[in-house]
Amino acid sequence: MALRAKPTAVTLQPLRAACISSTSSKPAASAPAVSKPGIVQGNPGTPLPMKAITGKDHREVALPSQEGTKGVLQYALTTADAVANWARQGSLWPMTFGLACCAVEMMHLSTPRYDQDRMGIIFRASPRQSDVMIVAGTLTNKMAPALRQVYDQMPDPRWVISMGSCANGGGYYHYSYSVVRGCDRIVPVDIYVPGCPPTAEALMFGIFQLQKKMRHTKITRMWYRK
Amino acid sequence: MSTILRTLRNLRSIGLKEYGHQMQYMGDTKRGTFIAMDKYGNKYFENLEEELPLRTRWVDYKDKEFDPSQIEPGWHAWISYNVDLPPSQDKLLQRQARVWEPKEHIPVMTGTRSAYRPYSTTKPKYSAWQPTAAPR
Repeated sequence: MALRAKPTAVTLQPLRAACISSTSSKPAASAPAVSKPGIVQGNPGTPLPMKAITGKDHREVALPSQEGTKGVLQYALTTADAVANWARQGSLWPMTFGLACCAVEMMHLSTPRYDQDRMGIIFRASPRQSDVMIVAGTLTNKMAPALRQVYDQMPDPRWVISMGSCANGGGYYHYSYSVVRGCDRIVPVDIYVPGCPPTAEALMFGIFQLQKKMRHTKITRMWYRK
Repeated sequence: MSTILRTLRNLRSIGLKEYGHQMQYMGDTKRGTFIAMDKYGNKYFENLEEELPLRTRWVDYKDKEFDPSQIEPGWHAWISYNVDLPPSQDKLLQRQARVWEPKEHIPVMTGTRSAYRPYSTTKPKYSAWQPTAAPR
């Protein structure tokens, strides 16, 4: 590159031109001058203010977490959210995407010792009727389109639990040529359950965390904010 | 296993208020001996005679939003049947805390503002090129 070969000869020509003409010996006089030192022409400048983009005035709004539960409307919305979240977390039907040994631990969750049925969790083979997808095991490149298709077939609201280190980030097969390095490259993941494989207790704890996340979802409150 | 007679027997033993509380938290009606309360305020119960195996020890959480990680380590060992005696009676668990031990138990903070965020302690392998030009 011209920049590295002759650092003293490099002038303030645009960066793109400098990269392309690596061996050229263009005279420095042809390069355009810059207004301020340190700013190269052609680089993205400072971003525009928000008003120029949206066309609306800037307005300070409290964060969702800073909103209290005062007033009749907030009370009604909070109650509606509580009812909806209670209904959601009461009967989670997982779409089982058992891919490897993690699936065996997932099966243990349904056995009488851990007994997922007491929480209303029933394994459902159809993505059209399931709420949460448990990605259990190594996701290969070949399986990835199928995973995405199954996720797209699930109706909203839907959640994804990534179970095991292979699904979390590739795990043992991170450097393999045929394994996706984490199923969050394919689908958005809500809960990551660590372990290789995670125990059935760990998966159950992950489900509890997902239920906690559901409990704190502000469905109608966010709709009202919008 | 829950039968009507068992529910009625336990209801008669614990009272209506405790029955509602247990149905809200556990979804079951149980009676047993109160073992102790831990530092946070969770209450632990035991009934070795009448309950089925693996259901003989249970916890009454302090928080409404309860979480199994709120159980302290010694009590976790007891409620998981790793030890026979609860920490309130076990001499081994009543020792002084070591200097490297955490002073108090912290439950899992996932989903809260105190959640653990991973960060890298290694130097990045490459750095972005800062375009600096000498003034002319």
